[in-house]
Amino acid sequence: MAALGAGTIVGTAGCSSTGGSDGGGSGGNGTADEMPSVAGETLTLTTTTSTYDTGLLDEIHTDFEEMYGVTVDAVAQGTGAALETARNGDSDIVMVHARGLEDEFMRNGYGVNRRDLMFNDFVIVGPADDPAGIEGMGSATEALTTIAEAQAPFVSRGDNSGTHTKELNLWDAAGTDPGGDWYQETGTGMGEALNVANQQGAYTLSDRGTFISQRSEIDLTILVQGPIEGGPEILANPYGVMAVNPGVHENANYDLAMAYIGWITSPGVQNAISDYQVNGEQLFFPEAVSEDPDFQQYVPEGWSSDDADA
Amino acid sequence: MPLEPVAQLAPALLDAGAGPATSLLGASFREGYVGSIVAVSLYVSLTAVALSTLVSVPAAVAIGLTDFPGKGFVKSVVNTGMGFPSVVVGLVVLFAVSNQGPLGSLELIFTREAMIMSQFVLATPPITAISLAAVSGVDDGVRDAARVLGGTRVDVALVVIKEARYGIATAVLAGFGRAISEVGSVLIVGGNITSADGISKTRTLTTAIQLEARQGRYETAMVLGAVLVALVLTVNAVVVRFGDRGVTG
Amino acid sequence: MLRATNVSRSYGDEPVFRDLTIDVDAGEVVAVIGPSGVGKTTLLRTLALSLEPDEGTVTLDGTDPWAADEAERLALRRRVGMVFQEASLFDGTVARNVEYGLRVRRSWSERLASLVRLNGAADAVRESLDVVGLADKTDQPADSLSGGEAQRVSFARALAYEPDVLLLDEPSSDLDPRNTAVIEDAVGEASDRGIGVVVATHDMHQAERVADRVAVLLDDGITEVGPTEEIFEDPADERTRKFISGELVY
Repeated sequence: MAALGAGTIVGTAGCSSTGGSDGGGSGGNGTADEMPSVAGETLTLTTTTSTYDTGLLDEIHTDFEEMYGVTVDAVAQGTGAALETARNGDSDIVMVHARGLEDEFMRNGYGVNRRDLMFNDFVIVGPADDPAGIEGMGSATEALTTIAEAQAPFVSRGDNSGTHTKELNLWDAAGTDPGGDWYQETGTGMGEALNVANQQGAYTLSDRGTFISQRSEIDLTILVQGPIEGGPEILANPYGVMAVNPGVHENANYDLAMAYIGWITSPGVQNAISDYQVNGEQLFFPEAVSEDPDFQQYVPEGWSSDDADA
Repeated sequence: MPLEPVAQLAPALLDAGAGPATSLLGASFREGYVGSIVAVSLYVSLTAVALSTLVSVPAAVAIGLTDFPGKGFVKSVVNTGMGFPSVVVGLVVLFAVSNQGPLGSLELIFTREAMIMSQFVLATPPITAISLAAVSGVDDGVRDAARVLGGTRVDVALVVIKEARYGIATAVLAGFGRAISEVGSVLIVGGNITSADGISKTRTLTTAIQLEARQGRYETAMVLGAVLVALVLTVNAVVVRFGDRGVTG
Repeated sequence: MLRATNVSRSYGDEPVFRDLTIDVDAGEVVAVIGPSGVGKTTLLRTLALSLEPDEGTVTLDGTDPWAADEAERLALRRRVGMVFQEASLFDGTVARNVEYGLRVRRSWSERLASLVRLNGAADAVRESLDVVGLADKTDQPADSLSGGEAQRVSFARALAYEPDVLLLDEPSSDLDPRNTAVIEDAVGEASDRGIGVVVATHDMHQAERVADRVAVLLDDGITEVGPTEEIFEDPADERTRKFISGELVY
């Protein structure tokens, strides 16, 4: 309810003149013929390469651009870089899937109005003959430990991306420290990492989306499922979106960022997200619209108003 | 910028050629995509090289024709600049044009203009160094004659530039080659952006190749690479044809 | 007209010449003879108002360019021309070379308006090339000429803008007798037109042929200046006599 309400308010706020750059503009809510005062502006959105490479954003952004008469510049960087760019005020809005880093971003005051956006999951893939014997395991940590003990080749992205961060968290949770010839860090994007793993018959952790896009070109299969197909919750991959705090960066395009957040968390667009398919499969599962309240999406995980330093 | 109208017309024209070519090679792109990234590559690199030439050639002439203390040091610096990593230049320009940087108010981050800036920095050392070598190779007697027949320093410089024109052309081509085939700086300051319908804003051939490669689409990346090579060959051929001799300097 | 008084020049610590006095008048031909390396070229460059003397003064019609402002110095420098031992022609046609001196003396708008061939210069160009017998090569590329022809064009190039003084540094040292004769005739033509000519040469016979006066430059300065016949037949200074007779071995 709260989510829907907020979306509606922001939606209308975007339509009325908010006294942005052109002070004298249209007074109240624009009629169908008047363009909103944000028309002609550009929203700079930084996001991760894996999000961008799914093609989802190119698919849905046209709708937003036409609605407001604006341009969205989607910059695919890599989780760390996307957040750093936003921190510097070089982007207006950031969309990543690394909750810990998003929380830090909010805590340090750079981001406001975080919303849960959508989720997909990670899968552990590997060669069909499964030398370490992890197929069908219900525990991701157990699978990784098995791989480590078998010293089966494993490819890691090693680039501080969201996927890499998740992988490191898994090793941590498994209590295993990966290292040795069998563990290779490529420092590349997900697609390349899958290629490397394919060539070497190695295991790797991948987001489902990239794997689906490449499935036809490589010989790896999913050996440990993610929560979408009944696998362990720990492999969930939730996406969040945050506006850059105009209190920190005066020239952040806050109006447009909020309009975007309102738009992308609206039922219509959430449906479009769930309808988006690659190679005949759904990639993303919408999370923004829900009957039940979800206060945790707005604050760092575990935050409570009882905390002394609010 | 005066080249903007060209940059707007060019994509359609370029796509008319490049589109079918790339699909012949097995890679299919959205309509207008290839043309638009070629247009951005050319706009950014040609502008950067043109601006750099305006600065580098006079600098090379001034350095070459004058004796001053520290001349050897200046030459070393210029030559070192030739090998400067493009990604580092990108970072430096990023610091400058970022919201937090000294030029932040100009809002140049993620624009083609910022890319022109970084490629200007990259192209200047090769254009200067090779022009300097060409200028230094001009016979002293020619310089003397130009001066003693009543030429001012500018007159002598013009004579020298004319004598060294093939070497200078080589220098400009070298600068262009450096600019159009680099990926590190334009990726960092440009952001590799296209519009939702696939028309490039700051995506060049090189950053498009990088994008295909990171997604593991190596064949497609190679096709774009072939387009890039063809482009560089064409530019070289045009310049060489323009001068009646080869690049003998 | 052009007078150097007590001039000295050094390269760094090495003195080239000291305390020389020499002059040339309109229509005169003065030869400077002496062994190679004695400083003839440096002297000529000083007379060409290109090199500032370390000591002493050089004046053209009484004006010292080095005491004048830049504009005046340029104007004075432009009344003098010099031809070196090597032709050093510019890239382009013969005409383009010969008109260079005229071109640089025009305004920028005129120069930009006539990028290929300078307006109104055709007569001067043809005329200068006539003096050296190469008018038929006007439109040929400079690099298609033989060595002798190139040097003749170099002469025409210096003549074209009608300088008051012409300085020639070993102008025919590399040339065969025929081309040498052409150059020497051209020297005569120049002096007939009232141009003051200074020729530096190690060829004493050439000096005898072309010069009105001869200056003998030896290691310790100009030993003697005088009318040609006197110098060669009855030199006043013993060193001059020794040099001319070949007794001074360097």
